[in-house]
Parts: sequence; C-alpha cells; structure tokens
Amino acid sequence: MDIFLSDKNRLVQRIAHGFCEREIQPIAGKIDKEARFPWDVVKKMGELGYFGIQAPKSLGGAALDTVDYILIIEEISKSCAALGLCVAVHNSVALYPLLAFGSEEQKKKWAPQLTSGNKIGAFCLTEPNAGSDASGIESEAISKDRYYVINGSKAFVTNGGVAGIYLIFARTNPNNGNKGISVLIVERGTPGLIVGDLEELCGVRANPVSSVSLNDCEVPSQNLLGREGAGLSIGFAALDIGRIGIAAQAAGIARAALEEAIRYSKQRHQFGVPIAKHQALSMMIADMATRVDAARLMAYRAATLRDKGESFSQASAMAKLFSSEISSEVTDQALQIHGGYGYSKSYPVERYYRDARVTRIYEGTSEVHKMVIARGIMGN
Amino acid sequence: MGVNIIVCIKSIKSTASQGQRSFSDELNPHDRATLEVALRIREDLGGTITALSMGPETFATSLHETMAIGVDRGILISDRALAGSDTLATSHVLAAAIRRLAPYDLVLFSARTADSDTGQVGPQTAVALELTIITGVCSIEQGKNSLLVERNYDGFLERYEVYFPAALTIHQSAIRPRDTGFLRIQSVFEKGLECWNHTDLGLNREEVGEIGSSTRLFSLSQTKKMRGCTFMSGSGPGQADQLVKALLQLDMI
Repeated sequence: MDIFLSDKNRLVQRIAHGFCEREIQPIAGKIDKEARFPWDVVKKMGELGYFGIQAPKSLGGAALDTVDYILIIEEISKSCAALGLCVAVHNSVALYPLLAFGSEEQKKKWAPQLTSGNKIGAFCLTEPNAGSDASGIESEAISKDRYYVINGSKAFVTNGGVAGIYLIFARTNPNNGNKGISVLIVERGTPGLIVGDLEELCGVRANPVSSVSLNDCEVPSQNLLGREGAGLSIGFAALDIGRIGIAAQAAGIARAALEEAIRYSKQRHQFGVPIAKHQALSMMIADMATRVDAARLMAYRAATLRDKGESFSQASAMAKLFSSEISSEVTDQALQIHGGYGYSKSYPVERYYRDARVTRIYEGTSEVHKMVIARGIMGN
Repeated sequence: MGVNIIVCIKSIKSTASQGQRSFSDELNPHDRATLEVALRIREDLGGTITALSMGPETFATSLHETMAIGVDRGILISDRALAGSDTLATSHVLAAAIRRLAPYDLVLFSARTADSDTGQVGPQTAVALELTIITGVCSIEQGKNSLLVERNYDGFLERYEVYFPAALTIHQSAIRPRDTGFLRIQSVFEKGLECWNHTDLGLNREEVGEIGSSTRLFSLSQTKKMRGCTFMSGSGPGQADQLVKALLQLDMI
C-alpha cells in the first residue's frame, strides 16, 4: 500500500500513528469498559485538525484529501474503533454535507465550530421503523412562516450523546415519497430537541450512540440544508463518502487484530514451538494478512477515485462491504489464535471482535451494499 | 526582531516494525523535545526556526514533520559524497551549513539520538563554530537578553546564564513536546524543503563523508543480556538468608 502513497500521505499517516499510539491506545481499553467518551483527548484532536480533515483552511480545516482522510481514520480505529467512528461520521456525514450543500452563511456559521471540534456533528436519518429503508422515515418538518417545526424520533445516532450539531432528516412534503425529505441543521439546546439515553452497545462502546427526539422543535428556515426535497440525495452523497471512512475503520480494526495475533503467536509456545510455527495457524495468519491488505487497498482505491474527481460510488460500496466483512473474519480468527486468552477481557482481541461486528451494519448493511453493487453492475 | 534558531535534527531507522507496517525512517524521538524548546522560545521572543538535517533523501520526511510541527524552514543536506560520515565529518558539514545560515542566535541539538547515541555531534559542531555550548540542558528560562539553563550531571545541578549566539544540547526531560496535527501539512508541501549539497556549502569531497571521517564503523551487533536464574529452596527466613549470602557474594550489598 505504501507504494501508492505520496510523501504528504506518508507524513499524515506517521503523524496520526504517533498521536494515536501515545494518546489513544493507552486509554482505549478503559473507555470501552466504562463506555466513556474521552472528551479530553477529543478536545486535543480538535486542536490538531482531526475534525476538519478535508475542510478548507478558510473554515478552519486541514484541507487534506480523501486518501489522507482514510489513513487518519484507519490509524485512529486501529487504536480505538469508537473514536475512529466518531471522527469518521463527524467528517464525512456531518461536516461534508454542510460544506457541499450549505449556503455561504451556513458554512460561515457552523463550519468553524465543527472543524475545530468544539461541536461534534451527528447524522440523524435512521428511525425506529426506518433503517435500511431510509425513505420510510416518518419524522416531519412542517413549514410555518420563517420556521420549520420538527416532530419525530431518531435512533442509533452515532455521536448523539455529545453532538453539538445534528443533521435531522425529516419530511417537508408528506406526499412526495423520496423527494419529500429534507435536511435541517439543529443545534443542541434548541427547545424540543431531546437527546435520549445512550445505547448500551456490544462494541464501539466509547461512542455515545443515542436516540434523538424532536418534539415541536422549531428551527429557522435558514437551517434548511440545500433545497426542500433534496434530503435523500444529500444523505446518499454523504454516505458514499462515509462508506470509504467505514472501510478504513474496519480495516484498522482488522489490522490491530492481525498484529496482536502475530505477536501472540510468536510468543506463545505449545508442543515445544511458538504456535506461529504450526501450519494451521500460519495459514490463518496468511489469510488474515491478505484480507487486511486487500481491504486497505480497496479503501485506498475508492478514496483515490474521489480525489481524482471520478465516479466512486461502486468502489466505496465494494470497499465498505469487503472491509467490514473481512474485519469480522479477521477479528474472529485473531481471537481463536489467542485461545482462551482471546476470550478474556485482559487482552484487547475481544474488543476488536466486538467492534468489528457493527461495521457490517451501519452506513448501509452488507445486504444493502450488495443490492447497490448489483444494481450498479446490472443497471436497474 | 526575534531569535533565529537552528535545530539540527536526525532521522533514525524505525524501531517499530509491526505486522505489515514499518516506517523506514522516523524523526529521532528526542528531537521532539528540542523542537519544542525552539517553538517556545519563538512564541516568547519571536523569530524563525530552521530545521537542518544531513542524510539521504529519505530524511526528507522527518524534515517535513518538523515543518508540520511548526518550524519555518526545512533544509536537507544530501549528496552521495556525504555517505559514511562519522560524527566529526557530520559536524563539519553541519557547521558549514550553519555558517551559511548566519546570522543566527541559537543552535539546538538533542543530547541523545535513539540510534547511535554518541552525543558528539552537538559539541563537535559547536566547537567548529566556536560557539559556547551547554550540553544536556534539562531546563530553560528566559533571562534578560539571555537564557538561564540548567543541567543535571553527576548528581550536581548546574545553572548557567547563556548569551546569544550559543549552542545547547537538550535533554529529553527538559520539556513535554506538543502533539503534531494536520493544520500545517498543506502549506508544508506547498513550501517544500531546501536541498543543499557539499559544494553548496563550499566543501571539498575530502572533507566530507567516509573520506572526511576520522573513524570508521567496523561492525554493529546487538548484545544479548544472558540472564541466569537461581531458585532458592526452602521458605521464609531460610530463603532470605540464602538471598543475603548470594547478594554478598556478588558484591551487590
């Protein structure tokens, strides 16, 4: 993979790696156990540009490209998938829609708060009754004079518990199917926006995933992002990029598991030799390494296509599908290689196993991605 | 006005070679504290910081990193003739480069590197430049038109007042380096590094590289600590007695 990277990419990777090893790695196990969002580290990351990776300098961003972005997400996720998720979602599906579809006033108002990490972004599309079927959302935003009044209920909002800015998808036109959904920017603290209890999750536990309810929540019309009715196309455009980030996240988790498995298999002796010398295990390691490599390269390809201005939806769907699937396989094998110790919380492998699992579900389940990819190949 | 600071940095071979990843060259970890000292002085007094490094082209990444950390200018001294330099030849080249960067106020080195760790290049360069040098600085304060520095050596704490121009080698414990972020990266690569070779510095081939070295590294091998293990039989006071006898025999108590 290194052969494809520019000097700039390599520097970005090195810097991310150094910070994550020093500041995130040592606390990752603890914050997972406590399901605690590490605000102190997140504040530091905000100052360093992690929350505005591709945003322009004029808005407080680092003005890096998509390849840099995936390298950063991968490094964070290798240390802590929950933080990798936070940064990925913030950058790709909260900040990006504002930058791509927002008016100049909206960008000036909210982008600097997001790029600095002072406010974390959240993307609120999923509802209790609408997951894969995004067009089935029932939240409504009724236009009244210079306001929209929003009512509805959002589920599984990544960063929900700590976000300062929520992108709420709601129907502005109940009769227009897919074209009736819009996106509204709602700030935390707006009366009627209620952040629900945190979900108790199997993995990525340090990410404050919560429900979000809107009870007659009034927001100014100026908070409409893009046009009325453009909600789903904005959402899908954002998810196209979000998927590349998740592909990188899953690859990072898998890489962490692989490295632990290699290290363990060299140290652990059974039957008089390091278990790495037993063919059954060395075959597993070979499989794992090949899959991790392929996942990283697929994420890289999707990122590069985007940076070159070429169509990348298929590539990002394939990357996310593949990377998330192999991350479950690789973490499972890594756990197996560790034997009983892999099942114990004294070792990090079980955390990787739990963290990997969700990557097959969010930002489009594997099943949805297969649909998308098949459609892309066969036409409608 | 401000202070013109030159920081001599080094790339080392990465010690971490994990799984599928190995960064082949990385910034000498001790240099981070040295760079932090420079950054703090610039924050207080203004001025510029130039990072200087002699080595092959792969050393460029570390220099880019120093610029991402906040250094104003990165200069790589590189050409084939410089290969095989010992610390004397290296300091000769660095001194020539530093002269080219005059006027300067402060030249900083790390007291140690994570690889060869001779600690010689700083003092040798300072001597070549006829600069005052304090080594192993573990604390720095602003004085009036001076720096107040401390070094901890052989159980004694020494305090010095140092006037510009001067050289210091900084001990890692002196300061906690700041984290590096991404906000400067774009401009680092827009600006780029400067590259000098030995002729740019007005040096002859005979003065540099292996030819210009007064020592030659013969071989490098890792020593392995052979550990023994003796089990003390019995329990409690009996074992304690045995332990005391063994330690006395080994002259450890």
